[in-house]
Amino acid sequence: MEQPEEQISPLMDLHPSGRVGFVRRWRMLFQNIRTYRFFIRQLVRINILTEFKRSFIGLSWLFIVPILAVLVWILLNGAGIVEPGDTAIPYPAYVLLSTSIWGFFADIYKSSSTLFSNNGRIMIMTHFPREVLIVEKVIVHLIRFSVPFAINLIVLLYFGVKLSWVALLFPIALIPLLLVGLGLGLIGALLKIVAVDLSNLMDEGIRLLMFITPIVYAPKIQLGWLSDIVHLNPMTYLVGFCRDVLTQGTFYEARNYLICSLVALVFFLFVMRIFKASESRILERLINI
Amino acid sequence: MNEKVLISIQGLSKKFSKDIKYNMYYGIKDLLYDGLMLQNTQKEVLRKREFWALKDINFDLREGEILGVVGTNGSGKTTLMRLIAGIYPLEIGSIKGVANLKVTAIFALRSGMQFLFTGRENIYIKGSMYGMSKEALDAKMDFIESFSELGDKLDRPYGNYSSGMRARLAYSIAVATEPDVFIIDEALAVGDSLFKAKCLEHLKQYVQQKGKAVIFISNNIRKVMKVASRVAVLDKGQLIHQSEDVPAALDYYIRNCLKHLGEEQLKDQLQKIKEYDM
Repeated sequence: MEQPEEQISPLMDLHPSGRVGFVRRWRMLFQNIRTYRFFIRQLVRINILTEFKRSFIGLSWLFIVPILAVLVWILLNGAGIVEPGDTAIPYPAYVLLSTSIWGFFADIYKSSSTLFSNNGRIMIMTHFPREVLIVEKVIVHLIRFSVPFAINLIVLLYFGVKLSWVALLFPIALIPLLLVGLGLGLIGALLKIVAVDLSNLMDEGIRLLMFITPIVYAPKIQLGWLSDIVHLNPMTYLVGFCRDVLTQGTFYEARNYLICSLVALVFFLFVMRIFKASESRILERLINI
Repeated sequence: MNEKVLISIQGLSKKFSKDIKYNMYYGIKDLLYDGLMLQNTQKEVLRKREFWALKDINFDLREGEILGVVGTNGSGKTTLMRLIAGIYPLEIGSIKGVANLKVTAIFALRSGMQFLFTGRENIYIKGSMYGMSKEALDAKMDFIESFSELGDKLDRPYGNYSSGMRARLAYSIAVATEPDVFIIDEALAVGDSLFKAKCLEHLKQYVQQKGKAVIFISNNIRKVMKVASRVAVLDKGQLIHQSEDVPAALDYYIRNCLKHLGEEQLKDQLQKIKEYDM
């Protein structure tokens, strides 16, 4: 078949799939996010509103649940629960804060690790850049974290914790935790489709990780071998630094924290590279449920 | 046949795994190859327990045409469209198009629609999924309202819509994206006759515009006959026939489906198909 003369515009690959360099990959990523920002807004809206759509008090639920949790802690404190280890602030406040910082990490892991398994259907029916789902997960996560956290802060003040100006650094100090949680979550999301055994192991691993991180006990607690593990665990520094910045205005193990943060950043960039290289390959392995 | 080529497909193949465990195993393997940026030597051959979902597909889509793609269930129609839409990764062959070609594909009308949100909210949700901005959707709101003919029902929860109403809304949103190439995969199987007729009429006018074309996937022979300007027949992942003589191509398709039958039975079956589907 001969080509007609009027065909001037040359044909190019409809879906370029060649490997791209670091700078180009991230530039394309941000471009896609910009183009689809209205979609991201819709996704966040759906995520936050769906569970409250049929409720009469609606978004108030976002506040009620954490307030109840706080009440439980105040009651336990009043009953005189034991003082494990030497914590600088009242024990209930310490645990409250530690668990919510841990939650900041664990929740983003949990929500991003279901990226493919929960959104598989729309991903296979409509073509849109998948990174918008990551951005949605992060935004929803930040909203869901900050509401209970604000309530926790009020409790801290009630327990007489004085905040210094260093506390303003707290949101920035959280970033490495977000990167680690998101990075692990995205790997988990890929594995959930092709390697269920590994992803189950990973979920359990994250749960165990909490016990070797000083969350419900103080970092100084002496427990022999456990202390050694705690010191080797990077999460100790990532969580501890955030907590101390907020409650005491000090920098807990700043050097270790910075090293861990740097590793977290490199790890996240590496995961994004794997994610971009394999996202559509995962979709063809998806068995629609 | 000297209209401009919008999409050109050359030597396109796609393989899938027949077995769920092998599916996972190859998934991990391919993932490692991609992750470590290694050359995958097994890309173009069948591995154990794999089959060709599409094999060596070649065709062009030209400006102004409505290409009807027919084939029995499982012949690879949707896989082909997912490759064109960019959902599945392209491994073997090429899919080329003119620069900045906008493709909208609708596979399942329902996907992505939110039951607890109103029809109007769903316009924003689904429209933005196609990459439209709020301004673009607001500008299209009147069009969607009138095309779907849903009127004040747009402010009711989508979950309370009948399947026909859902189809009307979802189809109208897809039309509002004004793509260059519109892929309709069985999406017009629902909806009442009035609406279907309107859609088919709209498609015919749509491709009159410059640089537009439609790929219409359907098992409904009568619809393809009415709307298509060219027909491609898929059978077990292979493109076995394409022609601008639509009735002849459809006849070829039916006879191919029934080729295992004897002369007598063939006549009988053809009669039945004529009676029920034409």
